Amino acid sequence: MNAVQRHHLRIAWWMILPCTIGLVCFRLFPILASFLISFTDWNIIGVPEFVGLNNYIQALTSPLGVKVLLNTFQYALVYVPLATILGFSLALLVDTGIKGVVFFRTLYFLPFITATVAVAISWKWMFATRFGILNAFLSWLHLSDPIAWLSNPNVALISVAVVMVWKDTGFYMVLFLAGLQTIDRTLIEAAKLDGANRFAIVRDIILPQLAPMTFFVVLIAMINSAKTFEATISLTNGGPNNASTTLGYAIYQNAFVHFDMGLASAQSWVLCLIVGGISLLHYRLQQRKA
Amino acid sequence: MNSRSLSALLIYLGLLAYAVVTLFPLLWMVITAMKSGRELFRLPPSLVPDLLMAGTPFVNFAAVFDKAGFLGAVLNSMLVATLAAVGQLITCSMAGFVFANLRNRVFTAIYVLLLSTMFFPTEVTLIPEFLLFRQLGWLDTLLPLIVPSFFVGAFGTLMMTEFFKSIPFEIEEAAILDGASPFGIFKDIYLPFGAPALASLFLVAFIANWDEVLRPVIFNSSPEVRTLPQFLLDFVGQYESQWTVLLAGSFLATLPLIMIYIGCQKWVVAGFARSSLK
Repeated sequence: MNAVQRHHLRIAWWMILPCTIGLVCFRLFPILASFLISFTDWNIIGVPEFVGLNNYIQALTSPLGVKVLLNTFQYALVYVPLATILGFSLALLVDTGIKGVVFFRTLYFLPFITATVAVAISWKWMFATRFGILNAFLSWLHLSDPIAWLSNPNVALISVAVVMVWKDTGFYMVLFLAGLQTIDRTLIEAAKLDGANRFAIVRDIILPQLAPMTFFVVLIAMINSAKTFEATISLTNGGPNNASTTLGYAIYQNAFVHFDMGLASAQSWVLCLIVGGISLLHYRLQQRKA
Repeated sequence: MNSRSLSALLIYLGLLAYAVVTLFPLLWMVITAMKSGRELFRLPPSLVPDLLMAGTPFVNFAAVFDKAGFLGAVLNSMLVATLAAVGQLITCSMAGFVFANLRNRVFTAIYVLLLSTMFFPTEVTLIPEFLLFRQLGWLDTLLPLIVPSFFVGAFGTLMMTEFFKSIPFEIEEAAILDGASPFGIFKDIYLPFGAPALASLFLVAFIANWDEVLRPVIFNSSPEVRTLPQFLLDFVGQYESQWTVLLAGSFLATLPLIMIYIGCQKWVVAGFARSSLK
């Protein structure tokens, strides 16, 4: 330990005191408690009763539990590819350095920082079956009959996902832009001199070079889709008939609407395993490369 | 037309197309907020709001303020977002000072534990936190939304630690020779040096707390402590048909964030990008 460190040590304990208290009270204790609660049957008022793995079995095999997991998967199937491809395409467009591009980049990121509930409510009005602008647009184009965007069980989940794609795409664009900065520009210039067209450059240079970032964006998008909550509570409340209830929303509903603390805790640990598994996968692959 | 200007044209078309997609929901929110109740249900929907044409575009915006609880919700949101962000600055910069400088077994253990909590989604800690706050008598107050930010922030601590590590050793040595106290060094060297990271952290925390829905909904149910997102959700349930006023309120709820973003764009974008790249 050097002189500077010895000097700083005098106040170090005071400096990390709040952080240590917070870590114990608001993180470690709740994580441990939640783990214990997940093995009990408890309605928050009575006495928790130990039920072994029942909650996990229910979360993974009961009809509603399976429906929630399938919904989460389906939601990810819409959200992840759409958000990733759009984010990537926008990054490419913005990266061209064409005049006025800063304005577009600023604009695309804007939805990401808007208040989720507020913009979701705006979308809800656009989704309105009879008076909404989306169906008016469809009928103007003579494309289809009015669609019940939020009350048709086959569509509601997709509608929620689309709103979140709209909101998050700019964020993924920024991540892709950060990735593009790391590509060696001389490669692209050399390819141009060799007469490669834009499409070939994207396919043979940018895509392979950007693979780690793409992988990362896909993982983040998967985690985000499992945690979706704000858009769901604003647009559908998980309905109709749980058609748009994904894992993040189901945890809230089971805990604070149905007061089934055990099941909700078990589901939060399922979510945790999904998030942890994805993060670990990313970590491992990063380690292997390094 | 040569191929170069053709490709420029295509790029602009692509940029414009998505600009419309990005802007339309926000624009439609404002347009609808400037319609009268009668105009709202006209088919096909009119693109030019009638209240704007009549020269009274802000009627619905004024009406929001007359709704019980709106002003209170604005104040609550301001209070929560500001204090929670300030809390993050204090606790994360202090912890970052220690973790950037000192590594004994205990400090390292705390640091590793803290960072590993980032793997646990907030949903895991919600129920025990609810029980804790109930025990403390904090339910239906703003405390659960503010106090934890004064005590723990894994991402913020990581960010400040990394940032503080780059402070040149020689400056500190010189300051110590000049008789500076450890806290003086923290205050006069670390904090000014860390200003860009602190600004990013403040903005990200402010925006995230302003936007937070899950925690307010769970910890607070009484009208006096509602935050803006809660107010809007309750509004939807209460007066489903008053879309014009509701969307005026929604726009007002998102306006502060838009203004912050326009004012401090670079820090906001950098902060959010960093928060995920770690």
